[in-house]
Amino acid sequence: MTERESPQIDVGDGAAIPRRDDRGLVSAWWIALCGAVLLLILLPLLKPDPYLAILRFIPDGILITFQVTVCSIILAIIIGLLTGLGRISRNRFINLIASLYVEVVRGIPLLVQLFYIYFALGRVVRVPDIAAAIIAMAFCYGAYMGEVFRAGIKSIDRGQSEASHSLGFNHTQTMMYIVLPQAWRTILPPVGNEFIALLKDTSLVSILAVSDILRRGREYAAESFNYFETYTIIALVYLLITLILSKGISIMEYRLSHYERR
Amino acid sequence: MSGADPIIQLRGVNKSFGAFRALSDINLDIRAGEKIVVIGPSGSGKSTLLRSINRLETIDSGSILIDGHDLYDPAENINSIRMEVGMVFQNFNLFRHKTALQNLTLAPVKLKKLPLALAEEKAMTLLAKVGMSERSGHYPVQLSGGQQQRVAIARALAMEPKIMLFDEPTSALDPEMINEVLEVMIALATEGMTMVVVTHEMGFAREVADRIIFMDAGRILADHPPETFFNNSGNPRIQLFLQQIL
Repeated sequence: MTERESPQIDVGDGAAIPRRDDRGLVSAWWIALCGAVLLLILLPLLKPDPYLAILRFIPDGILITFQVTVCSIILAIIIGLLTGLGRISRNRFINLIASLYVEVVRGIPLLVQLFYIYFALGRVVRVPDIAAAIIAMAFCYGAYMGEVFRAGIKSIDRGQSEASHSLGFNHTQTMMYIVLPQAWRTILPPVGNEFIALLKDTSLVSILAVSDILRRGREYAAESFNYFETYTIIALVYLLITLILSKGISIMEYRLSHYERR
Repeated sequence: MSGADPIIQLRGVNKSFGAFRALSDINLDIRAGEKIVVIGPSGSGKSTLLRSINRLETIDSGSILIDGHDLYDPAENINSIRMEVGMVFQNFNLFRHKTALQNLTLAPVKLKKLPLALAEEKAMTLLAKVGMSERSGHYPVQLSGGQQQRVAIARALAMEPKIMLFDEPTSALDPEMINEVLEVMIALATEGMTMVVVTHEMGFAREVADRIIFMDAGRILADHPPETFFNNSGNPRIQLFLQQIL
């Protein structure tokens, strides 16, 4: 049996996810983590005004950022799965719709999409700002996620689905029981990347009157004029969150690949 | 169905890949319990023929009947026909994310709604039969090629098919593992399973086959019992092929 390398899917700009065999990156991860934690502890201790005040002011924003991120990623994964399946569908119409969606979304900057969906949606229905932001983020990331799913599904050897069909499984069952569970392992690292990239990109929704970390920070800075200190803390908070997430994903990835280890 | 009718019936089957004619007006009847060995040079259409029998390959024209069911009749459910036709692949194609045991139980549990405990019991019996009961908890990557292929045969048998198709089951194996797989296949043949085997193993063909089919350029050139086939096949094309591989 040939050992097929799981293909690496080229992805956007998530934080680096440490791999078990990448020693350099792992130690870089540790240094960055320790640095961020240390600064987040030392700065408020040594200079409570304004650092402690900033730290007290932004937790609401962290919660909103998490809400937007988690809701968007769940929606984006669902949209992405459907798009990915659509892109490999033999039905030409479904294929065309999915491809069109991906082409359009990839051709428009996220910030423009955010504005567009926010205001376009506002013309039709009245939805809370945060919901509009989530829909816009999911709409955009769904397209990228679709490409990740497509590549992941295509990376599974055709023999797997042939064996499944030969036993009497239909298309849907083959996807559910055989292809997707295996594709998930290939898909997870890029999905993790997209997750982290999305978390960072949620900072854009601060423009849409959504009180995320960045917007809370800007509110504080505008009142106190402590721009440098505020953005220092905000940068550190983002860094800490993404570092922890990237490590978590790396651990999950390792767990998921248990059946590939001898 | 009366017993005299063939369990597999191909009529005027044609199949092309682009300009390449893979199958050319194939007519073939296989009765229940028969063991058919298909041989021929590579590209002769023998794998395509085998794969068309459970519609992994769709044909361009002609008809294929499995136990009286037309593979291309829209009213027939292809998946329930496939449940009756087990298939063993050259590259084993075990589900990589499932253990040997789970490879055997998945289809019976999901498709035949067998209770898991019963499916596992049956699976263990089958694994014992192919000499793999001690490896039931292993994942495919943890097994050798010969072991994987034996599990793959057991997986196909777990659906209790009427027909077993073998697509060059030993071609991807190291020489020392070929026999362990052939032994399982011989045991299966003795139990009366209907088998269609594409292989280059002439010893197996001689020992097990009721009929040997020789294919070349998408056509069936000869269809004889082994003794006739090996002793006095007057066809120079077959002579040449046998000289090359024996």
